[in-house]
Amino acid sequence: MTVRRPELRWRGQGVAEGVAVGRVLRLHDGAPNVYRAVLDKAADSAREIRRLRAAVRLARRQLLDIKERASHEFGADHAYIFDAHLLILEDRKLFEEIADHIQREQVNAEWAVKVVADRLLAIYAEIKDEYLRARGADIEDVMQRLIAALSGKRRHRPQPAEDAVVVAEDLLPSAMAELDFKHVRAIATDAGGWTSHTAIIARGLGIPAVVGLRDLFRRARTGDCVVVDASKGTVILHPSPATIAGYRAAEAKARPIVAPEGGREPLRTADGVEIILRANVELPAEYEGVRRYGARGIGLYRSEFLLSHRGVVPSEDEQCAVYQEIARIAGADGATIRLFDLGGDKLGPFSDEAERNPALGLRAIRFSLRREDLLRAQVRAILRAAKNGRLSLVLPMISDVAEVRRARRIIDEERARLEGAGCEIGPVRVGAMIEVPSAVLTADLLAREVDFFSLGTNDLVQYLLAVDRSNDEVADWFRSLHPAVLLSIDHTVRAARAAGIPVNVCGEMAASPAYMVVLIGLGVAEVSMNPSYIPRIRRTVAGIEARRAQEIAAECMRCATADEVEDLVRQRLGGWWPHLFPPELLPAPREPEAGS
Amino acid sequence: MVEQHLVVRNRLGLHARAAARLVRTASNYRSVVRLERVDGSASADAKSILSVLMLAATCGTELRVIADGSDEREALDAVCAMINDGFGEEGV
Repeated sequence: MTVRRPELRWRGQGVAEGVAVGRVLRLHDGAPNVYRAVLDKAADSAREIRRLRAAVRLARRQLLDIKERASHEFGADHAYIFDAHLLILEDRKLFEEIADHIQREQVNAEWAVKVVADRLLAIYAEIKDEYLRARGADIEDVMQRLIAALSGKRRHRPQPAEDAVVVAEDLLPSAMAELDFKHVRAIATDAGGWTSHTAIIARGLGIPAVVGLRDLFRRARTGDCVVVDASKGTVILHPSPATIAGYRAAEAKARPIVAPEGGREPLRTADGVEIILRANVELPAEYEGVRRYGARGIGLYRSEFLLSHRGVVPSEDEQCAVYQEIARIAGADGATIRLFDLGGDKLGPFSDEAERNPALGLRAIRFSLRREDLLRAQVRAILRAAKNGRLSLVLPMISDVAEVRRARRIIDEERARLEGAGCEIGPVRVGAMIEVPSAVLTADLLAREVDFFSLGTNDLVQYLLAVDRSNDEVADWFRSLHPAVLLSIDHTVRAARAAGIPVNVCGEMAASPAYMVVLIGLGVAEVSMNPSYIPRIRRTVAGIEARRAQEIAAECMRCATADEVEDLVRQRLGGWWPHLFPPELLPAPREPEAGS
Repeated sequence: MVEQHLVVRNRLGLHARAAARLVRTASNYRSVVRLERVDGSASADAKSILSVLMLAATCGTELRVIADGSDEREALDAVCAMINDGFGEEGV
C-alpha cells in the first residue's frame, strides 16, 4: 500500500511560458566522485598520461558532435560556446599541468584532472566581473566531460521518457545541447535566471521552464509526479489527483493536437471567408515547422532572440545572414521581422541600474530610438536581406505617431544611403505593433503612417487591464476576453479597414480555438502563432461559419464583464459547434476562490 | 619583438566567445603572442584560452599586446585589429 505524499510547492521564476504535468527526470550535473589512487612506479604514470590523451580525444569528438547539433538546432550564435569548450579542452597548458601533476604526485589521471580543475575554478571565483566569473561554468563543464571520458564514457545522459520534466541544480550548456528535447515537457532548476542559457533555449523551443527553485533537486526523485506552471513560476511536487486534473485541463488547452501535414490550399471558414495563418518563430529548430504545418509565411520573428546572451548584439552582416534565412524559409508568403524588443528585463548591461517599472520603461522602439546605432544597423541588415526575399519590419510598442515618423525617417535615410553606395536592397513594408492602449485609441492616425498593423494581444491585455501577467496575485485579473480587450481589437480592425491596411493578430489569443472564433467574429482575417498550433486552429477555422462568429462577437461586445463574455462564449460555441468545442477547449467557468 | 597598447572595447570584455576568437586567431601564427595588463598585474599567453580567460579583461581594460617571432608583425596586427573591432560585436 502506498501512502499519499503531501503536495510540496515551490515558487521560482518562470522564464519560458507554459504548463506541463509529467514525471521528474533528475539530471545530476554536480562533479562525479573522483578518488585518489597512488601509483606504484613510473611506468604507471606514463600509462595515466596515455589515458589522459585518449580521454581528451574522446571528449573532443563528443564536443564536435554537440557543437554541430547545437548550431543546427539553436543557431550558430548559441553554438559558439562549444568552440570555447573545444579550445579549453585543447589548451596545451591545461594538458601540461595535468600531466605534470600525474608525474609529480604519482596519482591517477582522474585525480589530477580534479585537482587542476579545482585550482582553476578557485582562481576564476576571484574574478570581480560577474559575467566573466559566471563563465567558470564552462571550465567546470569541460572538466566533468574529461573525467567522464577517462572512464571511456559519455557523461551519463538518461533518455528522457515521453513526459519527462528535467529537474537539475543547474544545467550546464552542453547538458542542454545533449538533451533530446522532443521528449522534454518542462525544465525546473534550482539555480539560474532570465538570462541563463537554460532560459534562453527553453524560450526558444517553447518548453515551459522555471528557475530559482532553491532545493527542488534535493527533494525530488526521478519518477515523481510533478507540475510545472511557468506562467506563474510554480512547481508542485507530488500533486494531488485534483491538482493534476486541473492542470491536465490547462495543458490540454495549451498543447497542440497532432494533425496531418497542413495543406497548401487557402484556408476558408465553412462559409467561405479566407483566413491566413502564419508562424511565429525564434530559433532555427522551429523553422522546419513553418512548412510542415503549412504556415503562410512568418507573421512574427522576434529578433531579440538573436542575442545569445545579455548585451551582445550581432553585427549587421550576421543579422543580414539570419534575416535572409528567415526570408528563404518564409518563401513567397514573406516574413515580418519585429525590431529588437530590448530593454526592461532584457536590458542586461545596457543599463547601469534596474528600472523600477521595466514594462513601462525604456524598451522596444523607445530603446531603439535612443540607441540609433543599433536601430540603423538592424534596419540596414533587413533592407539588404530583402533583396532576394519578401520581408516586412514591424516597430514594437508604438505609443505615438511621432515614434513611427522618427523610425520611418531613419529607415528612409538608411535606404537612401545603401542605394547611394550601390548596395542591392529590396522593398520592405513597415508596420506598427498595436499593444499599448494609446496606439489603439489613435489607430486611425497610425493607420495612415504604416503599411500594416500587428496586434500583440499579450502585451495589449497587460497594458489595457494594468495586470502584470507574471504576478500570481493578480492572475485572475488577466482576462483576454475582457470587454475592453474586445472593444480595442474591434476599434483597431475598423481603423485598419478604413485605411485599407491589413491587421495580423499575433499573441496567445490566436492559438486558442475559442478565442480564434471571437477574433474572426471581430473581423480578423490574419493571425500568427507558434507553428505547432496551426493544425488545431486550421480545424477550428474550417469548421465554423464567419457569419455566426460575427453574431457571437457582437453579443460579446454588449457584455459588461469578462465573466459574462466567457459564459456567452461557452454557451454559443458549445451550442453551435459541440464537435469542435469539448468543454476542455472552452474558457473554464470561474469558481469561488479554491484556496491554494 | 613588436608590441601595441590598446583598450578592450567590447562591453562584455574578453568573455568566452571573444576569447575563443582571439585564441583561434593568435594560433594561426608561429610567433609567441602575449597579452599583458598595462598595470603589470597579469599577463596571458594568447594561444591559451584558459590563460586569456584568467586575465579577466573587462571592458575598459588597458592591455599591451606583444608578439615575438618570424611573423610577429602580422600576428600583432591580426590580434589588435580583432580587439579594436570589439570582436565584431555591435552595441559596444
